[in-house]
Amino acid sequence: MRRIWAALTTTAVTAAALTGCGLGSGDSKNGDSVASAAATGEVKGKVSLQTWALKPKFTDYMQGVIDGFKKKYPGVEVDWLDQPGDGYSNKVLSQAAAGDLPDVVNLPPDFALPLAKKDLLLDVSKADPKLADEYVSGGVDAYRFAGQDGVYGYPWYLNTDVNYWSSDLLTQNGLDPKKLPANLDELIAQARVMKDRSGGKAYLMSRKPGIGDLYNAGVKIMADDGKSFTFNTPEAAALLDKYRDAFKEGLLPNDVLTNTYAGNSKLFNSGTAAWTTAGANYITSLATDNPTLAPKVVPSAAFNTPPLYVQGVSIPKSTKNPAAAVALARWLTSPENQAGLAHLTSVFPSTKASANDPFFSKGDGTNAGDAKVIAFASLAKAKLIQPVVIDDAMSTVINQQIALAISGQASSKQALDSAVQQCDKLLKG
Amino acid sequence: MTHRRWFTPWLLAGPAILWLAVFNLWPAVNTVILSFTNAKPLGGGQFTGLENYGRLLDDEQLADALLNSIVFMLVCLPLLTVLPLLLALLVQRKVPGITFFRTAFYTPVIASAVVVALIWGWVLDDRGLVNGVLQQSGLTDTPVTFLTDRWLLLFSAIALTTWKGLGYYMVIYLSALANVPRELHEAAAVDGASPLRRLWHVTLPGVRPTVMLVSVLISVSSLRVFSELYVLSNGQGGPGGRDMSVVMLIQMYSRGFTGHLGYASALSLLLFVITLGPMLLLTRLNRKAD
Amino acid sequence: MTPRRSRGFNTPSPAQTAARYALLVLVLLLVIGPFLWQLSTSLKGPGEDVYTRTPDFLPEDLTFGNYGKVADTIPVWTYALNSVIVAAICIAGNVVGCTLAGYALARLRFRGAKLVFGLFLATLVLPGEVTIVSQYVLVRSLGLADSLVGVALPGALAMLNVLLMRTAFAAVPAELDQAALVDGATVWQRLWHVGLPNVRGMLSVIVIFTFIGAWDDFLWPLIVLNDPQKYTLTVGLQYLNGTFSANPRLIAAGTMIAFLPIVAVFAVCQRFFFKGVEEGAVKG
Repeated sequence: MRRIWAALTTTAVTAAALTGCGLGSGDSKNGDSVASAAATGEVKGKVSLQTWALKPKFTDYMQGVIDGFKKKYPGVEVDWLDQPGDGYSNKVLSQAAAGDLPDVVNLPPDFALPLAKKDLLLDVSKADPKLADEYVSGGVDAYRFAGQDGVYGYPWYLNTDVNYWSSDLLTQNGLDPKKLPANLDELIAQARVMKDRSGGKAYLMSRKPGIGDLYNAGVKIMADDGKSFTFNTPEAAALLDKYRDAFKEGLLPNDVLTNTYAGNSKLFNSGTAAWTTAGANYITSLATDNPTLAPKVVPSAAFNTPPLYVQGVSIPKSTKNPAAAVALARWLTSPENQAGLAHLTSVFPSTKASANDPFFSKGDGTNAGDAKVIAFASLAKAKLIQPVVIDDAMSTVINQQIALAISGQASSKQALDSAVQQCDKLLKG
Repeated sequence: MTHRRWFTPWLLAGPAILWLAVFNLWPAVNTVILSFTNAKPLGGGQFTGLENYGRLLDDEQLADALLNSIVFMLVCLPLLTVLPLLLALLVQRKVPGITFFRTAFYTPVIASAVVVALIWGWVLDDRGLVNGVLQQSGLTDTPVTFLTDRWLLLFSAIALTTWKGLGYYMVIYLSALANVPRELHEAAAVDGASPLRRLWHVTLPGVRPTVMLVSVLISVSSLRVFSELYVLSNGQGGPGGRDMSVVMLIQMYSRGFTGHLGYASALSLLLFVITLGPMLLLTRLNRKAD
Repeated sequence: MTPRRSRGFNTPSPAQTAARYALLVLVLLLVIGPFLWQLSTSLKGPGEDVYTRTPDFLPEDLTFGNYGKVADTIPVWTYALNSVIVAAICIAGNVVGCTLAGYALARLRFRGAKLVFGLFLATLVLPGEVTIVSQYVLVRSLGLADSLVGVALPGALAMLNVLLMRTAFAAVPAELDQAALVDGATVWQRLWHVGLPNVRGMLSVIVIFTFIGAWDDFLWPLIVLNDPQKYTLTVGLQYLNGTFSANPRLIAAGTMIAFLPIVAVFAVCQRFFFKGVEEGAVKG
């Protein structure tokens, strides 16, 4: 019997090694030596760059950035890969497992964290000591992880959430687009008016609370050591109770029970809900989807502390050309090149030097321009609200339990306790 | 039937056996091994004994998921065994325009999940087509919550599965119907059998092996239901996740960089054991009938 | 209908024909919604709303421009060709491999046949959900990462199709085989002359299933392929769904373009559902 177990254990280890095969080669390299090679090496040779869903709209822009890089460093060759939007995490995961991550790769912080934990990413603060001086602290902090020393990516572009209101639906139902709600209580009060006037056909509230709302209600999401969740507090339960009562009153559509983050903008697009939260570029994309709705949208600043969304580029330790990789990452995220991207669509640069660009603080008279100005002002106080360790499974669990509480099938306390317990379990592995 | 060389059958089945071993058996063995570890997609698994299996026992969502999967199978099995056969009989005869109908009936099979979700949202939503009709006709005042009630969501997903599966199994039935020798039909007709009797005594016995195969396929695939429930609940599995199926749980745990491959593998194996049941039962029935 | 195969016994009356068409149209209405929505969206002009509470099935500002734009945006032809190559490899593999294996399982007695059949059947329920990454590592270690062959490989011989072919061969009357055996035919001759003509219907089912499976697969080709020039159509079409630039009209047009070859393959193959038996019967 013992022999069988021993055999099983060995195979288990082999199998586990196989699922993660290819990791061994990259991480045996000393990070410091890669970093110093990056800092001192000559920028030439081949370097690959992977972006996420920028083609075809930004093909010209990216080509321009790459041409500029080649001009600055003659003798360097850039192999640009743009991956489609869907399935990107699967793609990066397979690349990482097989040990063939590109030299510079666009990774949002929640992708970078597990790779950094596996010691696959370069600590760019070692290769680039001036990092914290040049990039805004929110952007750099997004790539610092609890329990890990260093910074595991160059912040690239930033975004935040803005409130959007459908002026048509508001005025049709006796509400004034000039007196928009500025907090949850006002929102609930106006939602009641909306419900009564429309006979329950239109809604003002269009999503259930999430981690961001808990945070804004003063709830601490995680313990300081990042090893357990703490959002099952009485304040959190009180917030859910408020939503539960509103739901019972019919102020929220049933859809919220199974909706995800994008759910409220879907309700907004179809003219069912008069309020949604979305990024600064929302009106522009709405103009493509529902051109008659887009001009009637009024933006306003997010309630309380807005969330900060960060995209960045990381460099795998296994890179064969660290000097060129670091130079390319810096070039891509340089103030000039970031400004170029931000002028094409409503995202914001992560470099300190860009803060004074009047482009971001001046509207152009359109509502999309207003949204950009509002978002840029919000960025100053935006925070990384959702802890990066919250993965797919955890956010599904949290969503499910909050829905359970809102629908009244479980008490808010029970639901929050259950969510915390399950998330803790997932966090431990 | 005899043949001279013993290796001929192995030669014929060889490539298939190779693929079987590499792409089916090896992943299964791998899953068994992983289920005893706490492996992550990026490696680093340690042997954890029966911990994952112990966890199965106190997973409340799993109990719900198992019940959902079994209800799903019990309802889908009769629906999808019979309806596609009727549909196949309907389109079997070559009447003008039949190619168009056959092709059209197959389109739900290939429709993308996103579009299916969109359309069925419009149909089943609180403000959707069905609720519109129900409220107009005065059958109900408040909308029926097809998409946010535990059991209604499950039955909506069953409806969607049936709708999507119609064309798929119709095609399998069509090819089987073609194998029922026409002479038998003609003989029966000469004997004065009514179309219904011919269906019962000639057609059905002729396609019986296919009916058996199809019912095995349906029971297995309905126990493994994923996309229909996923699509209708935006991946959330209903309020409180009470509409998760076992495969949805597996996906939830195995997805992404931090996927819990060990526990997901234990779930996979549990599902494997459960699906063996109806399969063995149906193959047994099949053999008896032979 | 040829006079030889006169079917006096089942010539339908006009009322029966009308009922049949009524049923056909009813089912048609039930199944065709998504298709219509895609088609209509792909024909809508930039001034029309796409996501409304009540979908408009008739485009007001009818345009074919979206199709042209798709072709301008992504190299549709290259991607389609890649998809065709993958599908062709898969079809060839399945038609040959599954026919041989299906025939052996249905018509030849050999030691271990039951075990082999049991294993094939077991694949319907064998777990494989959590191993996609290790499958990629395997294909990569064969040196097939970033190649169309690597994309096609796992699907080039599907176990379900082996079972379908076995069912089809098992349904061929044993007397036909017996007669050929008496004539001294070898296994290959019996397979070729007796078996195959009787299973063309199922073969065409396999062609359809395989084609659609290979054509629609998204995640696997995405994982295997790196070079955008090698992308298959479903992966390439994802470029229409960019982060800041998703236009549902273009996505719908792309989907319709991807849809046409499926219709073509289906329409061609479904004819064979009926041919097989007639020819087989003549020979028998």
